[in-house]
Amino acid sequence: MYYPSESLVSPLTNVRRERKLPAPGEIVVRKGEEVEPTQVVGRAQMPSQFRILPVARLLGISVKKAERCLLVKPGDVVRRGQTVARLGRLISRTVESPMEGVVTASGGGRMLIEAQPPIFELRAYVRGTVSNVFYGDGVVIETTGALIQGLWGGGGEGSGVLKAILKGPDQMLLVEQVDATCHGTILIGGCGLEDGVLERARQLQVRGIVTGGLEPSYIPQVEKAPFPVVVTEGLGKVPMSTPIFRLLTTNEGRDACISGKTRIRWNPARPEVIIPLPAEDVPPAAGQPGAQLGVGSRVRVVRAPHLGAVGTVVALPGEPKIIETGAKVAVAEVDLGQERRVVVPLANLETMR
Amino acid sequence: MVAEQRNGSILIADCGTAATKAVLLDRVNGHYRLVARGEARTTSAYPHFHVGAGVRHAVDQIAAVAARELIDMRGDVISPEMSGRQGADVFVVAASASQPLQVVVGGLVRDLSIASAERAVARTYCHVKAILGDDGSSAYNEEQRVRHIRDSAPDTVCIAGGVEGGAASPVLQLVETAVVACSLMEEGSRPSLLYAGNSHLRRRVVSLVEGRAELRVADNVRPSLSEEDLVGAQAELEELYRHRRLARVPGIDVVASWSRLPVVPTARAFGRMVEYLWHLTEPPRGVLGLDIGASSTTLAAVFDGKLSLTVSTDVGSVFGAERVMQMQGAPALNRWLPEPMSEQELQALFITSALHPTSIPQVSQDLWLQQALAREAGRWALDKAQPAWRPGTARPYRRLLPLFDTIVVSGGVLRHAPRPGQAALVVLDALEPIGISTIVLDQYGLMPLLGAVGEIKPLAAVEVMDSGGLQNLATVVAPVGRGRRGETLLRIQVTYEDGSSFSAEARQGDLEVVPLPPGQQAVVELRPARHVDIGLGGPGRGGKRRVRGGKLGLIIDARGRPIQTVDDPDARRRQLRRWLSDLGA
Repeated sequence: MYYPSESLVSPLTNVRRERKLPAPGEIVVRKGEEVEPTQVVGRAQMPSQFRILPVARLLGISVKKAERCLLVKPGDVVRRGQTVARLGRLISRTVESPMEGVVTASGGGRMLIEAQPPIFELRAYVRGTVSNVFYGDGVVIETTGALIQGLWGGGGEGSGVLKAILKGPDQMLLVEQVDATCHGTILIGGCGLEDGVLERARQLQVRGIVTGGLEPSYIPQVEKAPFPVVVTEGLGKVPMSTPIFRLLTTNEGRDACISGKTRIRWNPARPEVIIPLPAEDVPPAAGQPGAQLGVGSRVRVVRAPHLGAVGTVVALPGEPKIIETGAKVAVAEVDLGQERRVVVPLANLETMR
Repeated sequence: MVAEQRNGSILIADCGTAATKAVLLDRVNGHYRLVARGEARTTSAYPHFHVGAGVRHAVDQIAAVAARELIDMRGDVISPEMSGRQGADVFVVAASASQPLQVVVGGLVRDLSIASAERAVARTYCHVKAILGDDGSSAYNEEQRVRHIRDSAPDTVCIAGGVEGGAASPVLQLVETAVVACSLMEEGSRPSLLYAGNSHLRRRVVSLVEGRAELRVADNVRPSLSEEDLVGAQAELEELYRHRRLARVPGIDVVASWSRLPVVPTARAFGRMVEYLWHLTEPPRGVLGLDIGASSTTLAAVFDGKLSLTVSTDVGSVFGAERVMQMQGAPALNRWLPEPMSEQELQALFITSALHPTSIPQVSQDLWLQQALAREAGRWALDKAQPAWRPGTARPYRRLLPLFDTIVVSGGVLRHAPRPGQAALVVLDALEPIGISTIVLDQYGLMPLLGAVGEIKPLAAVEVMDSGGLQNLATVVAPVGRGRRGETLLRIQVTYEDGSSFSAEARQGDLEVVPLPPGQQAVVELRPARHVDIGLGGPGRGGKRRVRGGKLGLIIDARGRPIQTVDDPDARRRQLRRWLSDLGA
């Protein structure tokens, strides 16, 4: 009995995305409201700039005396350069506020001034319906459509129209193929990106790239890219799996939402592409989430030498087998198509639902 | 220690970051024995979002082997045991599946109070996000410190400083700085303050903080310049870890409800077992435990019955490679790889394995890299742990590892190493033991599990450990003292139980294995060269020792200390392959 990890690759499913504010704030949409990807659904005040003024030290007096020299009190709004403390009347020494803000505390001969906090705007990210509101905290947005979970990515979130350029999932996306018609679109790649594609895409304000593989040398560029990049299969020159390539290309011309956000270690998050599609009835997903691996399971190999290959489990030998490294481990026989049948450790398989 | 309760079956689970392990112990002919074990993926993330699922998966494997019902219809562990051998009398949980406690450490002097506070923090799953020192009393420095705290968004600010009856004003300023930082943070995300400084100031600290932050107080970690007392601070930090981090693991509350005992942090359970190992024989030197987990590495050293526990939460066998690369660069890993890799290739492989932390290397290059990271994780943890050790006479050389009679090693990367020689080489390269040590492999990952049960049933823990839970990997003789390449450092004569004998010479640079199968003993006579120390009283001093056999036998590691890999890639490739081949790896 083995319960593998899972990747969702579904042509039509219910998608539910929780959107949370980074700090307590205000939700500006109502339950049942239809939202667009770039629509603001909530706002929160982020930590602001602050200064601590050492009033007693600056005036050269005791802490106790400094309290009597303050001209402002907590809650007062101060301007930059405004005198906030004064010692003496005719020949006086003063302390000015170094910034515009609000006095939030004073004591111990010091004064705390905080600037107006910057506002964070939370966007819907996905077109759909607000199905739940957590007041002051976040919302849940639901939609129906195709969903593709990637393996690794970078570059935040975005939305745009899907654009297919390549004829097959094993082709490389070339610089010359990224032309003016790519402006504002999400490009569907293949086994990797030619050197210069990311820069060209940035110049043309491409909204995102989905690729099967990615050369490791591009990792730093992708992490800083101004648009999301989703790698579906693995790092290296890895062809996009045929089911994912087909799903993306058959939806060419449709609006899609793309997120390259990847968290690996704690509270993991995977990159994804969501293609909202109208649907009255959504067919049940293939297999239950978290199901046991069995003969017939559709799987993807997650480690070399078959990294990114997609196939079907055809046998689960009861006895452990010795693999290339010499380790004796539980394995599955996987049919990768085109008469390729390989033995893969169970631990190196994930199911595709 | 709680008195032993009635005898019965014990089910133990350990929820790690990547894998969840479970074992069933029961009485067989009046003694506790390991009945069955199971291992599954930890299920705190998609698609389960509930660690209970992983526990069930692991327990299901046990149920299948033991032909025993352990989970009820609702999916809960059955405990206590019911009629018809359903369930287990006791269910115990250890866990490390959460992000470590995020801590900002504050103190007065870098090498005194701050160092002690850091050591207290290192005794459990904590990550130090910033260190605040008393670098002057100007308020603009205070402003920077406030900014440090606020931007670090820690769970806890741990403030030490001042020996008993010593400095007051700088300590109180630090506390006030932390309070100001708390006031700038949203109410739900404010850190708690742990005060572990000059205890004479407690009242003033309480009145300073009152109502403005959650305050905990522990004994002064540095009561005097020469004393250190980490127990109180460690207990408070462990409690904070449980409440602020472990409690947030999805489903841990449900798993905890299956047990009558609180969840034990895995590192503490591991440390407890290393302590037991010391007490079993009370060896004149130390006992060392090394547990290389997926995302953290724990070192437990016991000298003279006193445990020193250090948890490195930044590097494990799967996660943390970026930290090694950031601090030491690709060469730190490449020195252990027969085929060097570029920084990008290393990064790609690390990301790939971290995305699927329970996946295993299927090709040699992947395996070498995983074992290279394990070596670095061990070395990293050692650097962090050693300043807290008090080995006394067991440390003949300041820059080398103290003398340890037993080194017990645990963790999936060692347990699942395809060949025992690979596990042994990882340990030798990571720890660089000196003198004569027995390396014991925790072959079933039992150490933390038994440590978790040790609180209520220490007898069960000891009996299972004694009955084959641990496997002797090898006895290692590692001479200290450099000679010319090829120069004889040590002459060895091994006399087996059947009277036969075997003689060998260890030359500088050699890594030799002398056969001595598990279950057998032999008398080893060691005669080092005049300038060579094998831990028997100084350079040139040899003697006879009775040693136990192991999976590999007796290893003579004459590579010198510290171990040096050559820079030339071709020569290094040959060197590493020779070492692997010498140990049959």
